Amino acid sequence: MLDQKLSSSIIDLTEMDIARRQAFVDLGAADLTRIAAVKATVLQHLDEHVGAFFDFLAPIEEARGLFRTASLLEEARRLKRMHLMAMVQGGYGRGYMDERLQLCEIYRRAFLDVRVFLGGYHCLVTSIGRRVMEQFPKDAKAGFEHLASLKKITYVDIALVVDAMVSDRETTIARQQDAIRELSTPTLQIRDRLLIMPIVGLMDSHRAKQLTDGLLNAIRANRAKVVVMDVTGMATIDSRVANHFIQTVAAARLMGAKVIVTGLSADVAQSMVVLGVDLSSLNTVGDLQGGLEEAERSLGYRVVRIQDAPLHAAAA
Amino acid sequence: MSVPILKQGDVLIASIQAALSDNDLVKLRDDLAAKVGRFRSRGVVIDVTALDVLDSFASRTLRGIAQTTRLRGAQTVIVGVQPEVAMAMVQLGLTLEGVDTALDLEEGLELLGVAIPQDRTL
Amino acid sequence: MTDPLRVAVDRDIDVVTARQAGRELAAKIGFSGCDLTLIATAISEVARNIIVYAERGEIVLSAVADGGRRGLQVVAHDEGPGIADAELAMRDGYSTGKSLGLGLPGARRLMDELELDSEVGRGTTVTMKKWL
Repeated sequence: MLDQKLSSSIIDLTEMDIARRQAFVDLGAADLTRIAAVKATVLQHLDEHVGAFFDFLAPIEEARGLFRTASLLEEARRLKRMHLMAMVQGGYGRGYMDERLQLCEIYRRAFLDVRVFLGGYHCLVTSIGRRVMEQFPKDAKAGFEHLASLKKITYVDIALVVDAMVSDRETTIARQQDAIRELSTPTLQIRDRLLIMPIVGLMDSHRAKQLTDGLLNAIRANRAKVVVMDVTGMATIDSRVANHFIQTVAAARLMGAKVIVTGLSADVAQSMVVLGVDLSSLNTVGDLQGGLEEAERSLGYRVVRIQDAPLHAAAA
Repeated sequence: MSVPILKQGDVLIASIQAALSDNDLVKLRDDLAAKVGRFRSRGVVIDVTALDVLDSFASRTLRGIAQTTRLRGAQTVIVGVQPEVAMAMVQLGLTLEGVDTALDLEEGLELLGVAIPQDRTL
Repeated sequence: MTDPLRVAVDRDIDVVTARQAGRELAAKIGFSGCDLTLIATAISEVARNIIVYAERGEIVLSAVADGGRRGLQVVAHDEGPGIADAELAMRDGYSTGKSLGLGLPGARRLMDELELDSEVGRGTTVTMKKWL
């Protein structure tokens, strides 16, 4: 049911990365020995520990996504149980990490907040800790040391979960930013072979690239021969942006399309000259209307106003 | 791998099918020069739709072709530059200056003043 | 995916091979269509430099990671004559047409990073990186 490929592509897990994660917690042979020593104890009370996690989360508002559907909750419980078993198995390579990420995928689908997760995880570790200490009734120090070794694995877990959930959030934000940029630089076909691209707002390199991309693809899709790029609505135009435009125009020409830039004020044009930007390759017209007229002319259109003459003769 | 060159009236059409090595490009240049001369063509359309990369050498060669054919009385139009290729080219500073361009084969033929038959397949 | 891919470059057809290999690896790393073309074009430029100036060399392609980000590294290496004036080689002749014509400033624009290590008589190594 879960997409295996998705979980390990949420974050990049190279062999190097896995080794580093183990090194970060200084996981060594002595730790593995201690974990093996408490393995039976942990496995004996698995359901108790899994219960501690979910019981903590159940009353919490931000966690209700996890409890909404029975199938999702069941899957989460099952994977949690399997994960706890794996935590004491002694192998913490790619297989272990992938399993951990599978659980993250469930949390993602349940919109579980990472802070809430940590609260639940803490309960789970406390539950395990209690039982481990009970295994060493006469030697608290040994109990503590064994627990400390097991806790190294929990820290590896936490790091993975936080990485996965944060990167997921960052991916969403990036995607939303892209969508916003896309919406703010539309290309409109107003006539056969003629596109307008009104540009409003601030421009950065990212947006400029998206703009060029959108324009060139629009030229191909609409078989446009002329594009009127109107920059009246642009807050500022600096030399970097101007150079982007020059490149865009050159790229459009390679596709057989002419670009007319309108709305470039005399002031801005002047400051470009002073900055050494060569605007000579740009075909500029003062305002949008003038630009449209020139575009239509070059396409062979002539716009004529319908005169007062009757549109058609009255029926005889 | 040589590029097929079709003759349509007094226009030659070269359709590049796949990535060309430098030698292939040079061969194309020579082929076109020879054919323009032989057929007294007045126009050449080079279709680069299938090229996923147009680098400085390709760009230089295409400009060279345009110059050579112009000396023999023919106009060259490059058609089919894909959006991504166009972006890469301008970032490298390759603008194919002095060479006519059009969106595709149909536009290219129109630019050369060739009447397009109803059936677009050639 | 982390094993570097070596492409020998000594005939002009290898320029195509190198850039197609680069395109494939970049796609595996997760680069978008547009970036794939930029990368392939940059590889084409440096691979051709090898053929033209050094006759033979190699392109080494590898996936790289730095902190949270992933990317592609392209190393173009030859033991040719080397570049006497590295500063001139990297000077952007875009607007003046006065670059050395090695396409290196252009390649740097296509990629995110470009380092030139060259010495007359020793050879040239161009290391380029692009990040997702």
